[in-house]
Amino acid sequence: MLARAGLTLTPEQVKAILPGAAIFRDMIARVNAPLPREAEPALTFDVEQG
Amino acid sequence: MSAILTIAEAARRITARQLSPVELAKTHLDRIRRLDPQLNAFLLVTEERALADARAAEARQMSGGLRGRLDGIPIAHKDIYSTAGIRTTAHSKLLEHNVPTRDAHTVKKWADAGTVMLGKLATHEFAFGGPSFDLPWPPARNPWNRDRFTAGSSSGTGAAVAAGLILGGTGSDTGGSIRGPAALCGIAGIKPTYGLSSRAGILPLAFSLDHAGPMAWTAEDCGLLLQGMAGPDPEDPASADRPVPDFTAELGKGVKGLRIGVVRHFFERDHRASDATRAGIDAALEFFRKEGAEVRDITLSPAADYHAVGYLLMVTEAFALHGPWMRERFMDYGELFRDRVSLAATVSGPDMIQATRRRRLLCREMAAAMENLDVIVSASQPGEAPRIDSVPKWANMEKPSFTMPFNVTGFPAISICTGFGEGGLPVAMQLAGKPFTEPTLLRAAHAYETAMPWRARRPAMAG
Repeated sequence: MLARAGLTLTPEQVKAILPGAAIFRDMIARVNAPLPREAEPALTFDVEQG
Repeated sequence: MSAILTIAEAARRITARQLSPVELAKTHLDRIRRLDPQLNAFLLVTEERALADARAAEARQMSGGLRGRLDGIPIAHKDIYSTAGIRTTAHSKLLEHNVPTRDAHTVKKWADAGTVMLGKLATHEFAFGGPSFDLPWPPARNPWNRDRFTAGSSSGTGAAVAAGLILGGTGSDTGGSIRGPAALCGIAGIKPTYGLSSRAGILPLAFSLDHAGPMAWTAEDCGLLLQGMAGPDPEDPASADRPVPDFTAELGKGVKGLRIGVVRHFFERDHRASDATRAGIDAALEFFRKEGAEVRDITLSPAADYHAVGYLLMVTEAFALHGPWMRERFMDYGELFRDRVSLAATVSGPDMIQATRRRRLLCREMAAAMENLDVIVSASQPGEAPRIDSVPKWANMEKPSFTMPFNVTGFPAISICTGFGEGGLPVAMQLAGKPFTEPTLLRAAHAYETAMPWRARRPAMAG
């Protein structure tokens, strides 16, 4: 994934982010919990439209 | 009463010709010379510019041509605010020699209002890393205890205001970067409604979460500074085209009749705050009740839901901006910034869409919860400042933030001091409101601040 994003990191550099990646995976899972099908994305954020 | 003036008091004295803007600027430059070597709040002191600004303010004072309550007030800018002809680095090696040709919108507005610019202030790298010890400049230190963290990213502004080096300054807030340092440094800091103040000319971190706002010793001073920065700006696509209210108009009206909701589960269950933080909030709620406000608990989604959405959007938007540099100059970033933002490479397109869908639901939830409320109260930080050398690399991910919910929704929020904890360091609470209700937020914050003794106490080093 890092390489696909254009980040060519050394094994040490990858190792440095692994603990954070584990926490971040949990955040991504939380974001992906089921939503009502009708929930639309707010692709351009506007405080009055949400 | 502290010997260091508030902006409101300095403005009164300048208007009455009891205070010389030049003498005020010299006093603060002297304080910077004496104290900043221990604090690292400033990346650059612009003494010549400050004295020129102060002389111009004094000429207006003597000719009866003062431009308003910010004329002659010593301020400084977080070093992500572009300053024409003056180095603007984002505290990063990547912009070590960057000299913008234009002022940021707020820099120009404050200059036009007559403020006296003393210099550029430390930040976490690109308003996100921190505390970092591998950048060209050291991190700012907390004036209440120099071994302690200021929080960030507006770290220099927090330290400089608390130590009385400046009377106010700029901050930016993507996930809590104004309210965090305001809390740990014992000052006031307001993140205005998304769109109220322009971000034009401020180095961005995450477009849909970035807010520009002021930090000062009191809520009243924040209102005065916000008056000088709010308003539409065609150069910021998120700028709201609506009239700017008088942010200090409601000060002194007290809290009688205000409807206050308490998001108790945020700071008692979702991320349990320290005893002193919770006691400070409870005492404030008791004060609000006694003064005639209606106070009740409310329930929102878990703080972790807001935090996950906000954090994912923040690092992904940051990677969209920084990706080109990160691919070429990865090691020129500090460790904290590069490692935290690299995580965005693991975010998929559908993850991003889900985050924006969930964001809209959270916005609607908060708007519904606030329908019959004027203010909601929660913690600002979990407790007193930790040691600066022991902040874990992933600290800002491990537990949900109290401030991020209001970046996700764009609702305004202010952090104010509620006393001191066992370690003698400040603790704080956060007051949030409906969009564009800053005058009400400031009214509640001012009522609390003026009834409590906390604004009379400065860090010992501030003298």
